[in-house]
Amino acid sequence: MSSVLAPSTPIDIGEQSQRRRIIEAMIESCAEKTYAATTITDIVGGARISRTTFYKRFADKRDCFDATVDSCLLELQEAAATAHSPGDPPPDAVRKATVGMLELLASKPAMAQLLSGEAVSVDPAVVERYRRLLIPALEGLWDAAGEPKTSHVDPGLSFARAQLLIFNEIAAGRSDALLALLPEIVYLAVAPFAGHDEAIQQARLAEQSAPDASPSGVE
Amino acid sequence: MSSSSPEDLRKWRLPRGRHGLPRELVTRSQRERLLAAVVRVTAAKGYEATTVADILEEAGVGRESFYELFDDKRDCMLAAHAILVENLEGKVRAAYAEPGPWVDRIRDALGAALDWFAADPAAARFTLVELAAVGPVSRARFQAAFGSFVELLDEGLDDGPGPELPRATTLAVSATLARVYEEVVLGRSADLPSLLPDLTYELLVPFLGEEAARTEQRRAAAG
Repeated sequence: MSSVLAPSTPIDIGEQSQRRRIIEAMIESCAEKTYAATTITDIVGGARISRTTFYKRFADKRDCFDATVDSCLLELQEAAATAHSPGDPPPDAVRKATVGMLELLASKPAMAQLLSGEAVSVDPAVVERYRRLLIPALEGLWDAAGEPKTSHVDPGLSFARAQLLIFNEIAAGRSDALLALLPEIVYLAVAPFAGHDEAIQQARLAEQSAPDASPSGVE
Repeated sequence: MSSSSPEDLRKWRLPRGRHGLPRELVTRSQRERLLAAVVRVTAAKGYEATTVADILEEAGVGRESFYELFDDKRDCMLAAHAILVENLEGKVRAAYAEPGPWVDRIRDALGAALDWFAADPAAARFTLVELAAVGPVSRARFQAAFGSFVELLDEGLDDGPGPELPRATTLAVSATLARVYEEVVLGRSADLPSLLPDLTYELLVPFLGEEAARTEQRRAAAG
């Protein structure tokens, strides 16, 4: 893309970092005061950029929010992808991917709040967009293994339930306890495609790998 | 505070003109009219667009009386929300407390929740969707309500099946809320009761496994 001769690289890096800072500011402001109460002033203040710069990158607050959701989803997908290996059988792959995603969300409560809460309240279409992204990805794991499709529980509902459980923990200010939800979230991720029995088995495995949920621990 | 169902909130009216009613009763009536009004106006216009003037007009109450009873629009909304959630909880608790096998009780508790949301689409939208616009306090409100429903189901689990997951009741509440929320957002609250068989299945799978849950789904469909 960039020519060797043109001095475009440093500018790109500058733009990238500005964009990154804007997105971070949006995540923080939404966590602190909700999307509805967030103003462009909050975002440009948090990102330490000018209003003009903001409007060069984004059309408006909603455009910026959508980009923020996309950026968070990308991070989530990367966490899921690196958590499992291609050789894993589907149930194990789903469990590992779920653990990877939940660990990321537990380490970034503001991001978890945005994906599980703000995205839902701002516009149901946002959720629909990433539901369509995530569910086929999970489904694909089973298809690739040549497993027959059977009807178990509803994957769309399972997705919404997982989202609600995560939101509930974040709402309670218990992002550190998010990993204690691993058995339930893994259950919801496996059950639609492999059924209750397999889901229980994977939930048990996840429970063993889950850290002690008690608040005491490393300071 | 007496718990008033959304229907009660709507019906409460005072005779016009000089009625000679005790002041306490007038204030109570004004309060309930304002609470009913904030539900209807917010559900129709959205929280952001709703003004105190809208609420006054809908309730037929003066500005001065409003500010004697509430700090602001948000205060009024949160008061109405508390009454609605308390009312819903009462309905679910009553259904769950009926004598009978646990699977029937949890199905009937689910049915009571679906009926409640279907009976008043404005109250449903207000309780679930518009609450988020109030700000971070809505998260605490949501969490408190979620927690009390989990507790309610846990209390009545004594004669129920031993679930294979540590927090199966949390999963049950999440299934109900997630589906109801979706239907309410899409403006389909009135159809919620028809989802009873499918949701009964979703709720019971973690407790009973798929085959037994399928049997209960068929039972729920047969009425």
